[in-house]
Amino acid sequence: MSQTVDTAPTAEATPSGKKKPALSEGKRAERRLGLMLCAPAAFVMVAVTGWPIVYSVWLSLQRYDLRFPDQREFVGLSNYVAVLTDGYWWTAFGITSLITVVSVVIELVLGMLLALVMHRTLVGRGLVRTVSLIPYGIVTVVAAFSWYYAWFPDTGYLTSMLGLEAPLTQQIPSLLIIILAEVWKTTPFMALLLMAGLALVPEDLLKAASMDGATGWQRFTKVIVPVMKPAILVALLFRTLDAFRIFDNIFVLTKGANDTSSVSMQAYNNLIRGLNLGIGSTMSVLIFLAVAIIAFLFIKLFGASAPGNDAGGRR
Amino acid sequence: MAIITGGTTGRKAKWAFIDIVIVLYALIPVVWTLSLSFKTTESQTDKNFFPSEWTFQNYRDIFTTDEFIRALINSIGIAIISTLIAVVLGTMAAYAIARLDFPGKQALVGVSLLIAMFPQVSLVSPLFEMERNLGLFDTWAGLIFPYITFALPLAIYTLSAFFREIPWELEKAAKMDGATPAQAFRRVIAPLAAPGVFTTAILVFIFCWNDFLFAISLTSTSASRTVPAALSFFTGASQFEVPTGSISAAAVVITIPIIVFVLFFQRRIVAGLTSGAVKG
Amino acid sequence: MGSTRTGGRGLSRLRGVAAGAALLVAAPTIAACGSDSGTEINVYLSPEQNFQTVVDRCNAKADGRYKIVYNKLPRDADGQREQMVRRLAAGDTGLDVLGLDVTWVPEFAEAKWLAEFTGENKSDAEQGVLKGPLQTAMWNGKLYGATKNTNVQLLWYDDRITQTPPETWSDMMEMSRQLKSEGKPYRILFTGAQYEGLVVQYNTLVASAGGEILSKDGKKVVMDKGAVDALQTLKDVSTSGLTDPSMPNAQEQQVQQAFEAADSQAAFELNWPYVYAAIQAANPERAKHLKWARYPGINGESKATIGGFNLAVSALSTHKPEAFDAVQCLRGPESQKFQAICDGVPPTIESIYSDESPIEPCPAATTADKPTMATAYPMKETILEALKDPAVRPLTVVYQNLSTITSKVLSPPADIDPQGTADDLRDGLQKALESKGVLP
Repeated sequence: MSQTVDTAPTAEATPSGKKKPALSEGKRAERRLGLMLCAPAAFVMVAVTGWPIVYSVWLSLQRYDLRFPDQREFVGLSNYVAVLTDGYWWTAFGITSLITVVSVVIELVLGMLLALVMHRTLVGRGLVRTVSLIPYGIVTVVAAFSWYYAWFPDTGYLTSMLGLEAPLTQQIPSLLIIILAEVWKTTPFMALLLMAGLALVPEDLLKAASMDGATGWQRFTKVIVPVMKPAILVALLFRTLDAFRIFDNIFVLTKGANDTSSVSMQAYNNLIRGLNLGIGSTMSVLIFLAVAIIAFLFIKLFGASAPGNDAGGRR
Repeated sequence: MAIITGGTTGRKAKWAFIDIVIVLYALIPVVWTLSLSFKTTESQTDKNFFPSEWTFQNYRDIFTTDEFIRALINSIGIAIISTLIAVVLGTMAAYAIARLDFPGKQALVGVSLLIAMFPQVSLVSPLFEMERNLGLFDTWAGLIFPYITFALPLAIYTLSAFFREIPWELEKAAKMDGATPAQAFRRVIAPLAAPGVFTTAILVFIFCWNDFLFAISLTSTSASRTVPAALSFFTGASQFEVPTGSISAAAVVITIPIIVFVLFFQRRIVAGLTSGAVKG
Repeated sequence: MGSTRTGGRGLSRLRGVAAGAALLVAAPTIAACGSDSGTEINVYLSPEQNFQTVVDRCNAKADGRYKIVYNKLPRDADGQREQMVRRLAAGDTGLDVLGLDVTWVPEFAEAKWLAEFTGENKSDAEQGVLKGPLQTAMWNGKLYGATKNTNVQLLWYDDRITQTPPETWSDMMEMSRQLKSEGKPYRILFTGAQYEGLVVQYNTLVASAGGEILSKDGKKVVMDKGAVDALQTLKDVSTSGLTDPSMPNAQEQQVQQAFEAADSQAAFELNWPYVYAAIQAANPERAKHLKWARYPGINGESKATIGGFNLAVSALSTHKPEAFDAVQCLRGPESQKFQAICDGVPPTIESIYSDESPIEPCPAATTADKPTMATAYPMKETILEALKDPAVRPLTVVYQNLSTITSKVLSPPADIDPQGTADDLRDGLQKALESKGVLP
């Protein structure tokens, strides 16, 4: 396909007086192709979530309790003030942040180790890969239930084995149990993404590095990690977004007792149990904002590794 | 596969040991669920890791009515269709984002992240109303559309991370050899993107398979109810008893398709396909 | 669309009805035109093992005028409420009969989702019904539901350990202390997790102490001396060292299992009557010695909180006359007796308790004996006594908020400080009544 450069004067004058460069035929074709390829995905996403998200934000600006439909009114930001000055909210926020940070860090380390094993093992590679993914493949509620059964003194084997007494009735032990359940369940998610990222590291680079005398650790930090940055970003980003919205494990294990409740549980209590659409939507928006800030930080940290941030690796 | 082959027995043994540790770590809680599914109701609370009394009754129970079978069929169908569509749409969009320059690229990336970030619990009710008005409530399509929507952000991000790493020179070389863009994509890019595509497929499938929130809210009969939702309809002998035995049995049964799916796809996530492709 | 594979292995009528119902419910637009095939009454109720038999019987009685379809709701109460609320709030006309937990009637009625029982429907629904359960079906002086079954907690004990059951909490703690010093099983078991079960316990204690949490009309917070005394009792027992260490995390099933365990350390269990049937299979040895008594009081006889289900008719239903008719049959004396014996749920109609006549063996029965109320429900006298002097949970539109706040404030029970906790409750409940503030 030949690319002709169109030099016809189709440039528009910008306010500063400079002329924008004319779009070449090829460039226009590229733009069309790009838009066409993205259109179906964009259409589906916007069609399904456009209205619900807008409606949720709209609700958060209203005082709207389903049981008192006559008292519905627009109240601006007072819902936000109510939530942000609530002690329960900040406790839940703190606990959620704690669980998120601890479990994501552990999962990153364990996930990396697991990815290395899944990638490099000489024995039973298919078996290890499949077996490692089973925890992620089990329905969360059932896994949480089986942990509950295991840790509950009258029905399970773990408490007597470790000599503990009712760990689920105290805050710190139950937080540790919750983190353990989370880590066990979702490390495979990280590991899978990291392993696929490992698959991109060219063997020759590693061979060259080792021939230059680099140690295993140096090969890891100087060759493997930089190439894997995009994969690490995706894994970290999505895992953290999900970790912040933890619900099932806490609900089954402690029901949020002893201040182990998360922000998602509180949003659920207000929105679904309390039928307070105003406050519930406010909490959802706040959770979204918290998660957005985290995402923003990650992307800033990883800079150019974010998608769409450069011209497609065309150097 | 450019792997250092022919390790000594010592190295093989080391890897075997590491493998065993990982298998134990992953499987001990699973074996616990398995053993719960084989325990009789009397021995449910005997605190033993392995059942002292074995029974297949729990497995028989879940198959007595065809509700569970219907749920399995629904799950399999909905998950496969959603995964297929999400991966195809995601690949197209990811390729465009990673390779091409067009207006609205940043916006699309931002919007898809926004969708992944917004708590789903508050989107369920408006979505329910939309589907009711469109007649999609309690249908396969009613679940497939949300699943695709919420799987696309992860798919797009993962796949564009992969497309980025594929050297642009390969496409240019293919074009200079006379291939059309479509051919260049199929013959050169697609095989190299395989690890990313199959990873995405696995993750999307597991997401659709295990989703509970949409399954319970957007269905009301066994016409479209999937397995995770069906689990919450299992009855115990009374309203206060959770039927642990049958739920564990059901959980074991529904993990099997996942194992099959992963086993099938994971061998495609292989290393070093790009090595040697570009000289110098 | 959904697969229509049915396997072809001995299609039971059940499967046919279920498949047909599924298709019909899933395609409301098709069903809208050409509904000469018969009126369908959709009943939404929690999954009960033998309710389908009741439905079948009522369909036979309906004689073609309508067909009742049993749509199951999730097993947990919160899940059931969520499903129904979502659809009713969206104006779904596909629900006809709703199975409501006793605490939901004010909420649903106020939101105008329930049709009132008037005239003959009302007198039928009220006939012979015990006062306590009937109260839970009323709101603002109007009847919105027909009682289907009730439930009340009893004190369960092992007669090898305890010869005479305690009548008050202080007696019970005294006996427990005595047993502990003798090295025998001594623990007092009750549901102390942060959920509705804890609110039920507290409500019983408040009523037994003669106090009130809310005013009778449910519009004001009272929290009087009786309520504070109840807090004191709850605190005392939780800090006495006489409870199971996992009590703050225990729900009904955990309490039941702790009493059934082979090495159980428990002497007293406070739980619903279902434990009687459950222990027969789980621990036949202990089952032989299981005895029951009324829930211990504080200053005398207790007033135990009642549970149960009411059947209501949706205000959005397009077949109200048939729906009321169906309700009449589904919760009528015959159905209640059948479900009492085969499902273990106490009936609300008083005459059934003294009914001696046997019925056909239950569907899942292993013997051909014809059961009666006496054989299947030996504790019915105690239950009836308790039902005649019951405590009803506060009847208010914002009951869910109340429950969430109360369970949060009272958990863990060992940390209760009677005056301080009472103030917290007063504050939180007042805000909940005005729909202000944020739930924990």
